[in-house]
Amino acid sequence: MRAFDFAAPHDVAGALDLAGGSSAFLAGGTTLVDLMKLEVMTPEQVIDINRLPLRGVRQEPDGLRFGALERMEDAARHPDVAGRYPVISQALLLSASPQLRNMASLGGNLLQRTRCGYFRDVTTPCNKRAPGSGCPALHGDNRGHAVLGTSDSCVATHPSDLAVALVALDASVRLRGADGERTVPLADFYLRPGDTPHQENVLRLGELVTEIVVPDLPWAANSAYVKVRDRQSYEFALASAAVAVDLRDGRVRDARVAVGGVGTVPWRLPAVEAALRAGESHEAAAALAAEGARPLAGNAFKVTLAQRAILRALAELAERR
Amino acid sequence: MMSVRSANREDGPVKVSGAAAYAADHHPDGLAYGYLLTSTVARGTLLAMDTAAAERAPGVIAVYTPFNPLDVRPFLKEGGAELAAPLQDTRIRYHGQAVGLVVAETFEQARDAAALVTARYDADRPRASFADGLAGAEPPATGAPAQEVLADGVASIDEALAASDVTITATYTTPAETHVAMEPHATVASWTGGRLTIHTATQGVRLAVERLSEALAMDPADIRVINPYVGGGFGNKWATWAHTPLTAAAARVLGRPVKTVLTREQVFTVVGHRPLTSQTVSLGASADGTLVAVRNDGVSSRSASNSFYEAVADLSLSMYDAPNLHASRKVVTLDVPVTTIMRAPSESNGSFALESAMDELADALGMDPLDLRRKNDSSRHPVSGLPWSSKHLDECYTLGAERFGWSRRGRVPGAVADGDWLVGMGMGTATFGAFRSEASINVRLRDDGRVVVSGTAADLGTGQSTVFAILAADVLGIPVERVIPDLGDSATPPAVSAGGSGSTSGNGPAVRLAAQAARDALVKLAAEHEKSPFHGQEVTYAGGEVGDGGRAMPFGELLALLGLPDLDATATSPRNASQSHAFRSFGAHFCEVRVNRWTGEPRVTRWLSVVDAGTIVNAKAARSQIVGGVVMGIGQALLEDLRIEPGTGRFGNATMADYLVPVNADIPPIEVEFLNYPDTLLSDLGARGIGELSIVGAAGAVANAVHNATGRRVRDLPITLDKLL
Repeated sequence: MRAFDFAAPHDVAGALDLAGGSSAFLAGGTTLVDLMKLEVMTPEQVIDINRLPLRGVRQEPDGLRFGALERMEDAARHPDVAGRYPVISQALLLSASPQLRNMASLGGNLLQRTRCGYFRDVTTPCNKRAPGSGCPALHGDNRGHAVLGTSDSCVATHPSDLAVALVALDASVRLRGADGERTVPLADFYLRPGDTPHQENVLRLGELVTEIVVPDLPWAANSAYVKVRDRQSYEFALASAAVAVDLRDGRVRDARVAVGGVGTVPWRLPAVEAALRAGESHEAAAALAAEGARPLAGNAFKVTLAQRAILRALAELAERR
Repeated sequence: MMSVRSANREDGPVKVSGAAAYAADHHPDGLAYGYLLTSTVARGTLLAMDTAAAERAPGVIAVYTPFNPLDVRPFLKEGGAELAAPLQDTRIRYHGQAVGLVVAETFEQARDAAALVTARYDADRPRASFADGLAGAEPPATGAPAQEVLADGVASIDEALAASDVTITATYTTPAETHVAMEPHATVASWTGGRLTIHTATQGVRLAVERLSEALAMDPADIRVINPYVGGGFGNKWATWAHTPLTAAAARVLGRPVKTVLTREQVFTVVGHRPLTSQTVSLGASADGTLVAVRNDGVSSRSASNSFYEAVADLSLSMYDAPNLHASRKVVTLDVPVTTIMRAPSESNGSFALESAMDELADALGMDPLDLRRKNDSSRHPVSGLPWSSKHLDECYTLGAERFGWSRRGRVPGAVADGDWLVGMGMGTATFGAFRSEASINVRLRDDGRVVVSGTAADLGTGQSTVFAILAADVLGIPVERVIPDLGDSATPPAVSAGGSGSTSGNGPAVRLAAQAARDALVKLAAEHEKSPFHGQEVTYAGGEVGDGGRAMPFGELLALLGLPDLDATATSPRNASQSHAFRSFGAHFCEVRVNRWTGEPRVTRWLSVVDAGTIVNAKAARSQIVGGVVMGIGQALLEDLRIEPGTGRFGNATMADYLVPVNADIPPIEVEFLNYPDTLLSDLGARGIGELSIVGAAGAVANAVHNATGRRVRDLPITLDKLL
């Protein structure tokens, strides 16, 4: 870890004033400190934002709003979240460990960096960490890598479970920067790697995620997050599925489906949703999840696994009725 | 049969309170901090290293590289590590090899400076694929290439197989694994004059003294290694690794103590790993299930840096009765970090293949797999023909089957489901060799009424120190709390190091002999010392007191009265030299596995192990040992896989986040039953050893349960969900 300057402002304006250049915001620290120890991130200034008033979960006219500094565990246990959006609660509770969830913030969760082993090992090339240096994952150890949204520059998987649930629910993030405030749908917030895998999202220099907004969706009470991994806890997803279904009289009226662990960004599946709305079988609908998949030597199974995760979630939700 | 004690660990309070000082917890005055530099290519030559920026960095005291080396000599014995001394040449033999040591005033300064060092290599393509190397596998440089027993009139193992009513042949493979003990390897070295005192994480302080005396060209008498607490070893702290002599050599030239702690990532490469293996097993049986022939052709990877490999097929020679047996050994040499011993080397991988194959044979015969094992249970060692010293495997099978509900196992694979989960049962036989090494122990009775039991043994978290306390307390008839075990100091008598599951079997008898000798010396003192109240009397000893039939006095009071701070005796228990019997521990694992019918995750949901390991000294810690081996076996079966990148020879998942071992959620309640029959042919104590036994057979049991649940036979560990989709 390199030496850095440290500041702990009390308000958002103070934080934004300090931000820029080689600065990093510190919330729970569960990603940043890790990456600083590995020298993957070497900010000259760390701005501790934990004193900022960005906590809480509250209902607003445009939906349920989460402060970006709300801790994962607290958000997951919030009655409005657990009752109205089980998919969010489950995605959070299936993440990390209780210790980490007690520290990690929602905003930080959305901004966590990939777990790609090459990204995290500074002795290897990585286009995301060192643009233009190459991507050893294409022909290297790639069992955990993405099959959707990849490019010849980068196949790193987006690691967040929460983001998968939020993308399925059409959530937005509110951003504050020197130029003011803006709201960006989460689906547009993340950028696929293309030729510029180091640009992971539309966040501008010094801009801060302040809130997450989840629009009302009454039938999201019938939602689930299925996370599949080698061990039963404390591991990132090999594949996951965030699914909400509007079931009436045993028929799917509407559905939201997104998958995680398989995409370079949280991966919404409108084609699968449309097929479900059109009354296609679960199997036929889930098969559309594989569209455009580009498997590598070590991760071809993820194409099947993502479909199975969707089927498992659909089966769980159908059973629950 | 002696009653089985169940005692808390004597070292439990100091460990959970953080008071126990592990190697890295020592901070002698004037301490400087070392940080290893490691190679980033797997094979080739180091052309140059630029250390200028590091040398100018704050707090840096010295930067050592092959171009500015420390004086370290090659070991004379590999001892599970490698002969080449670090920094003595520019050859790169594996990715992650130690190529430098930065020493600074603080750990952070050493680490930051290390990041400033750059290296240039002339890199060759490494040999990094075991699968590609199999075709060119060669007989090993050490050890017999094959062992064979044939019945009279049988010309070859293949002839015996061909003559069998039913045969199966299959190939089983296992990946590289690594130990990931909780405590990373660490060394703290201090010099006083020409004498070295070193705290280093090791499974045997005597081993460390030997290797250091070679590496530093010193008289072993001038080296003292102190390491009473070890945070797990699993074989990886048997050897002495590069950072230890480097740290000692740096401390010598710098004239101040130096500490080096390996980073988590370095623990994957600077120290060794378990080799990859492949076994092609053929079993032949008559129609009633009697084994006619067992053939296992085993191949192990071997690091180009040393000679260690797993003789993985050999277990097939010691397990089931068959008149025709054949096991062979070959190796594939790879340019990877050092291959070394890991819990039940050869035998745990060997049992995965043999136990899987036994189930495959049972399927082919239409027999219950447990019945097949019972039918072929051996009463003598199948190769030597010697009778087993004490074997009650059949009782393990019977008791286990009954307790586990084996009769409820579905006879047809895939027949049992619970909701979305397919449910299967499997079993496997556990076994591990037993022996009794020579061990010396000192027992010191003190005037405060306490007793110190000393020897160079190691407690890796196993409970060995509590075994010392229990056995000494039993002989001396005092509460176990009054015994102070004193392990891990090379200045004490030479006891058995922690390896091969031989600690209790060797050290246990020695503790008893030494306690008896101390007791005898006390009785003699009481009778002969002029100031003794028992002078000239017929003195007896019982319950911590000496007496003459009338009066009795606690030994501490007597010593105080005589003005003696203590009275001690050292005894040596010899090696077991029996040629008349074969010695092994046995056991039977039973498990239930559930596999999700959508997404294929295998989850172990029930476990029972019935263990026949001779006398159990401390049921509580022994249970933990068995549970630990089973947990590691579940990891071996389902998770552990140290992946080598074929192109680079780099381990692709060399972090604790990416190298998966089980978490609590992966482990069901584990029941353990000990038969507790003393093996009196091995020693009066009758204890055989339990450190490695329970990992053997565990992965096979899981694989067999997965097959019973799904109908899928996975012959390539680990059994991950992608193999079950």
